[in-house]
Order: sequence, then structure tokens, then C-alpha cells
Amino acid sequence: MMRWSEEQQELREAIGAVAAKLGADHLERDRTGTFDRDGWQRLKDVGLFGLPFDPRHGGLGKDLLTTVHVLEQLGYGCQDSGLNFSVSTHMVSTGVPLQRFGSSALKARYLPEICAGTMIGAHAITEPSGGSDVMGMHTTAVVDGDDFVLNGSKAFISNGSIADLIVVYARTGAPGDLAGITAFLVRRESPGLSVGSPISKMGLRSSPLAEVFLDDVRVPRDHVVGSKGAGFLIFDHVMKWEILCGFGIIVGEMRRRLERCVEYARTRTQFGSVIGANQSVANMIVEMRIDLETSQKWIYDTAEKLQSKADVASDIAMTKLVVSEANVRSALNAIQVFGGYGYVSEYGVEKDLRDAVGGRIYSGTSEIQRHRLASLMGLNRPVRSA
Amino acid sequence: MTIQRDITAHIVAEYLPGTPASELDPSYDLLETGVISSLDLLRFIEWLGDRYDIPFADLEISPDDFRSVAAIEKAVQRFAGVTAPE
Repeated sequence: MMRWSEEQQELREAIGAVAAKLGADHLERDRTGTFDRDGWQRLKDVGLFGLPFDPRHGGLGKDLLTTVHVLEQLGYGCQDSGLNFSVSTHMVSTGVPLQRFGSSALKARYLPEICAGTMIGAHAITEPSGGSDVMGMHTTAVVDGDDFVLNGSKAFISNGSIADLIVVYARTGAPGDLAGITAFLVRRESPGLSVGSPISKMGLRSSPLAEVFLDDVRVPRDHVVGSKGAGFLIFDHVMKWEILCGFGIIVGEMRRRLERCVEYARTRTQFGSVIGANQSVANMIVEMRIDLETSQKWIYDTAEKLQSKADVASDIAMTKLVVSEANVRSALNAIQVFGGYGYVSEYGVEKDLRDAVGGRIYSGTSEIQRHRLASLMGLNRPVRSA
Repeated sequence: MTIQRDITAHIVAEYLPGTPASELDPSYDLLETGVISSLDLLRFIEWLGDRYDIPFADLEISPDDFRSVAAIEKAVQRFAGVTAPE
């Protein structure tokens, strides 16, 4: 069981208090697919975006565990899961790789704005022809003088239409070459970069998703993040943070949902007694609690291991699988507990399910995580001797 | 323990369980033969970076640097002591 210091708790409560005031209009935003700029501003004012970043560049200098702990409270307090998703995307897509791999000049120039939330971040990895097959990407970056010239298109880019800074992953080597991908920090206003209209989707509708097109976009060499060819290492590092921060927020959302169901089951009466007295209803809520606490344990256990530099290759895959699947089950159970009220849009219970389904797809589908685990177990390798 | 023995011991334990370390030839192609897959390679480079304090993401590397135990040993000798930029 994690033990948190007074300082960590205070920080969490402070962010939680602000988060609880956000998302009052989340159902309307979900209906219209509108990003909450006002909510962003409020989170910006409270310093949330700088949580894990270097204080020399405007961050709060908190470690990964503290960051996840605080973000969980954002998920608990703020009902606009699209806004929550955009927050996590912003922090992990640009700030995390910049802090770990960026040159001192890049950090000095961009981290303060990322921490302050005055520049919104995104990353562009997925392409229309291949979602999970990152190594098969077609976007290219070719050296020309002091610049790289980027060409290609990227699909399903979270924060795409609101981003000011995008970390674009592009091919600088031969197809299939593991050291052939490079990460570039690209400004939104770069000539040749265009962003498509926001794409309508099933859930997380208030977090804008768009395509990004790169047509002879010139990126200065000093905007390479890490070194040429190190994109896959950077991507791997970012994915770990993305899973822990993004799904840490989801754990908070699951906690809020459970409390709502408990409250409802203890007050809603049918046939002369509260519905919670019915074992079949109680069992669903108990399952929700088990899903929540299992998810919580995986998130913090893996974050702690990553922070202590342990090998978390399997843990990350299992954490992502466990939490994303648990979230869908929890959302389905909530609908069943609420019955007709759970099924109609007005109460926001069905929205939770639509939001939850995405979690089985983004940050590596459930199938990819299982494949990765099988690979780590050596199941796809025939027994051989050297 | 020499670098070569350390690396061999790790590869055998993680990717060739049951194979005696003495049977892994230093020139054996670990990538071509699939002993280390592309997914494994990420994890292996991470281990190597932590073990020998090498900031691989800040260096220009090639898959050939990880093709065999002998190549890995050379890469470690070449990169060890290089520190990440501030």
C-alpha cells in the first residue's frame, strides 16, 4: 500500500478542489464535441501542467508517483474526461520527451510554455496506413542543409487541432530499421504543416482528434529530440508515462463512478427496499470496487518500479490491459446499476462507457499488449540453441 | 566479470533460457536469428543503458551495434563514459 506524505496529499487536494469545479457542462461538451478552454485556463492557473518538470524551467519538480497521485484526483474531480485526456496528452507528448531527451536549448525555449500551458502539446505517431505498426511508418525526414524536411500524414492525433507544439516521429532510416525513426519538435505554425478538422468519435468527444499533414515542413536540426535514430527509444519512454499518467486519471474516474453507484444503490428503492440490498446489484458494485482497487495497485506498483529504474516491460503492458479492461467493465456495471437512467444520455452514465472503450485502443491496443506479453514470455520464439 | 561475459549471461538468461552461456558464440547474429526481436531489442537497450550508464537516446546508434555479443561489447566500449547533454 502506498503511503503519501503530507505535502503530496496537500498538492493532490489542491488540484482536486479545482478539478471538482470543472466539467459541470461535460454533457453538453460531449454532445457538441467542444474542448473546454476555460477549464484549461483554470488548470493552467493552478500549475498542474508543470507537475513532473524541472523547476528551472517552470515545473514543480515532482516525481512520477506524485504526478500520477495528483492526476488521479483530476480524474476523480473533473467529469469532463475529454479535458482530462487532453491534459495527460499535453504533458506526456511534449514535456516528457523534452525533459528527458531534449537539448538544454530546447528545454529552455519550450518547457516553460509547456509547464505554463500557454503552448498545448501533442504527438504525431500513428499514420493512416498503420495504427499499431509504428515501425512501419511512412512519414519521412530528409536532411537538407541545416534542416530536416518532413513529408507525410499522421492520423488520430489527440489535441491535434488545438496543439501549438507537436512531437512528430518520422523515418530517417530504412523501413523496418529500428534505429530509423527520429523524433522532431515541430511548431504548429511551421509552413507546410496543416491540421484537418476535428474528427467526430465515439467517446472523449471534448478532446479534439485530428489528422496532421506534413508537406515539405522544414524543421531545424536543433529541434531533433534526442539523437537521430533514437525515436523508438523516446517513443518507448513516452508510452510508459502515457499509460501511467493517462490511466492514473482513469483510476480517479472509476473511483468517482463507484461512489456514484454506491450512493444510488443506497437511495434508490424498488419493491420496498433499496436496490443495494439486492445481491445481484450489490455484486456488480463489489466487482466495480475490485476493478478499481486492482487498477490502482497496478498503476502505483508499476509507477514505483519505473521510478526505481526497474525493468517494467511486462508490467506496463499488464497495467494497460488491466486498467483499460477494468474501466470498460466498471462502466458497463454502472449502466446496469442505474438501469434506464444509466442508458439515457441525460445522466452521463452511458458517456462513461463510450469514453472507456477508447482506452482499449489508444496507447497500444489490448491485442498489442497481449502480443507484447507473449513476446516477452518467449512464446513466439521456437526453442533453439545458439 | 568481463563485459562480454556479463552481456552473454544476460542474453542467455533473458532470451535463450536453458542454453549454457559457453554455447553462445560472440559472433552469433542475435537479430537475424530472432533471438532478440524488435520488441526485445528496446528492452535490451534499456537494460544495457542502465547497466553501463550509456544515454543511448542521445547517441546515433545502429541495429548493427546490437547484432552480436561481440558488437554489443564494442558499442559499450565506444559509448561508455558518454553522458547525456544537460
